[in-house]
Amino acid sequence: MDDAELAHAAARGDPDAFGRLIDQHGIAARRAARAILRDDDDADDAVQEGMLAAWRAIDRYDAARPFRPWLMRIVVNAALDARRRSRVRQAEPIAETLESGGLGPDRWAEAALLREKIDAGLAELPERQRIALVLFDAEGWGHADIAATLGVPEGTVRSYVFHARRAMRKALGTLAEGMK
Amino acid sequence: MTMSPFEHQPDETLGRLLREHLTGPAPEAFLREVRVAVAGAPRADQWDVLSGWARPRTMALAVAAGFLLWLGAWFADSTSPIDVDAGVSVASSLPAHTVMSAQPPAAAEIMAAMRGDRRSPRR
Repeated sequence: MDDAELAHAAARGDPDAFGRLIDQHGIAARRAARAILRDDDDADDAVQEGMLAAWRAIDRYDAARPFRPWLMRIVVNAALDARRRSRVRQAEPIAETLESGGLGPDRWAEAALLREKIDAGLAELPERQRIALVLFDAEGWGHADIAATLGVPEGTVRSYVFHARRAMRKALGTLAEGMK
Repeated sequence: MTMSPFEHQPDETLGRLLREHLTGPAPEAFLREVRVAVAGAPRADQWDVLSGWARPRTMALAVAAGFLLWLGAWFADSTSPIDVDAGVSVASSLPAHTVMSAQPPAAAEIMAAMRGDRRSPRR
């Protein structure tokens, strides 16, 4: 079953169908929320809130349009709302999630430095550039879907990705080359 | 990483780094938690949607109706006929010379008539 069929089944009240949609899009939604919120717990809460909102509104989903941008727009909005609510709080850097993967001490230190630089690079990016970069490069989305999710023209998304990549390349320097 | 930021294809190296960095710990457990939360959440049925729609509008209608009632009452007050009887009563209490005279009566004479004192004030 594709997304539209699962969404249709979910709209008829089938929670398992919506569970499969969560399985397919939940981790991408989590990455987008973490890119926005920069805090593990807040991001997970925002994804859960967004998924609940999507579940409650599933019968308003228009099957003629792609499901993923519809869902992600809800999750991204939930994350942006959470960010507005928590602006007064000090954002903590997200936890280290790269496994050492049996790297030797030198490689492990290099990986740790790379994590630090990715974190710093992402922190420096404006919010929308960060979202566009993550959705384009990490999730493989097209410009049109990102534009639909963010509610901006495609040209703006191209500009976001361009500036975000340039900033990340500057932040990472030659470190990323060594991780290939 | 892709050397040109104008590249229209996803940058695989940067993408992989970002995915590793942002995926977060225990993704399977996270998905399970979200599925459980959604499974336990009731879907809003049509009546809930309707009542959610109706509540603010009912309040707005009640406020509008109250305002219209108040406005109606205010207009009714302001357009009510002048109390002619009171005017006639005061005029009939005035001394005859003040009614017949071309000059308007003195304030003291009007006050005396309103008090019901038929005597002419001393001039």
